[in-house]
Amino acid sequence: MRLHLARALTAAALLLTGANAAEAHIVAARLGDFYMGASHPLTDLQDVLLWTATGVLAGTLGATKGRWLILVFPLGLLAGLPLASFFGAAATQLADATMMLAIGMLLAAAAQVPTVVLCAIAFAVAVIRGAANGAELGPETDRLLFAAGLACVGYTVITLTMALTAMFRQTLPDNSASWRFIAVRALGGWIAAIGLMMASLALAT
Amino acid sequence: MTAIRYLRLALLALTFALAVLIRPSALHAHEAAMGVLEFREVRPGAFVGRWSIEPSIGASRVDLRVPPHCFLRLPEMNCGQKGLIGPITITNLGSNMSVVLIKVIPIEGEPRSYTISTANPVVSVLGTGAPTLETWIELAKTYVNYGIDHILLGADHLLFVLGLIWIVGGGWRLVKTITAFTIGHSASLAAAAFGLIGVPERPLNACIALSIAFVGVEIVKQQRGEIGLTARYPWMVAFSFGLVHGIGFASALAGLGLERRLLPAALLFFNIGVEIGQLAFVLLVLALIWAHRRLDAVVPRWGEALPAYLIGSVSMFWFFGRLARVFAVI
Repeated sequence: MRLHLARALTAAALLLTGANAAEAHIVAARLGDFYMGASHPLTDLQDVLLWTATGVLAGTLGATKGRWLILVFPLGLLAGLPLASFFGAAATQLADATMMLAIGMLLAAAAQVPTVVLCAIAFAVAVIRGAANGAELGPETDRLLFAAGLACVGYTVITLTMALTAMFRQTLPDNSASWRFIAVRALGGWIAAIGLMMASLALAT
Repeated sequence: MTAIRYLRLALLALTFALAVLIRPSALHAHEAAMGVLEFREVRPGAFVGRWSIEPSIGASRVDLRVPPHCFLRLPEMNCGQKGLIGPITITNLGSNMSVVLIKVIPIEGEPRSYTISTANPVVSVLGTGAPTLETWIELAKTYVNYGIDHILLGADHLLFVLGLIWIVGGGWRLVKTITAFTIGHSASLAAAAFGLIGVPERPLNACIALSIAFVGVEIVKQQRGEIGLTARYPWMVAFSFGLVHGIGFASALAGLGLERRLLPAALLFFNIGVEIGQLAFVLLVLALIWAHRRLDAVVPRWGEALPAYLIGSVSMFWFFGRLARVFAVI
């Protein structure tokens, strides 16, 4: 039974990976490499999860700490792109899972992360995912346009996620007891669980 | 004053994004990469094909697929007694060749046009009963997508809209301004598509670049505390320049040589696509402004003037590049 489940999960993961490449190429053919860079991460489950988790973590820590990510995150994505030739999409799986587990646990524990640590986590996530996105570039892709698209979507997603989280959480005096606060911590637990499963899958394969 | 600074930071980031498209190759980017292929029936089921507008990648590199019962070796195509009915596709459409118009001129009956685009890569050639409901659905699919693609790839139009948002801010003033821009470009798009007005494409593109420079100057004026024309009458500026931009939109349709009876519908669907793309862009900008306000993320004082000068520089770069093309310097 477990074997069937593992096979099903692997098949689902392979299907998702296949879909990413196909959809990205459709976008590239239709709208060019800028929009390919902008849409590529949105079709990748690991990008969506990790970016959202980073944004939620920053949003819960407040605007003063979180706002640095508006710059740090897109810069990290740009820094990660040239590293694609060293790492590759497959090599980042364990790193992705570790980061997801760490962010999830920080969220679940409602830890007060210092600004420097938050920026370091966000930068690390961005570099890893930048490298993963860059690993799937074809030789015909215009790298400058792709990088611009990737940085733009990174900026947009992280800014909006942080703002939405800050709005959702609301900073009331009796915040720790509110259902919103608990909901965000529960979400952190889910993210950590997904990270743990991904890490197991990465180690198993 | 602080609200304006939030707005500036969000807009600064978007300006940088659009500025990436200023490289020389982008000077040509907004001219549609298209081709027009005519099939003239010379005897029942037998056609002679000819590229009346050859795509930039070269006719020999176009991978055209015709219905299975047709035998194609350009310039000849033979479809036998069944005639030319069924799917036609081009498998290697891309940013170098995004649209191909197939014109079928039968021995009897009216000529028909079919548009193969990256958004709609397969078209069905219909029988003598056309246009049918299927024709209209296909037309809607093709032209709504083409309109969306056109506005999303038109960095100049988006930069102009960005400049307007910058000056006007949010609220009802923005709604009125964007509506005036929409009315302006829809009116001139229709007029140009029906041949009521005609402006050469290259000088027009230079004018579009100048309209963005104008908005850049208006932003600088506003930052200096002066009340410019756009700040005073935003709807009027939006409407006037909307007329110019609309003729630019029409140039995307002009080369397709659509049948006149299908033109109103194609125009409507294309315009709907343009509006969808424009609305999505405006909503994204407003969402980012809101997010910056929420996060209290403001642009530093030393960088406040930077976006306006960036808009001005980008637009003047486009202007000189396009002007050079008017005089065929490059």
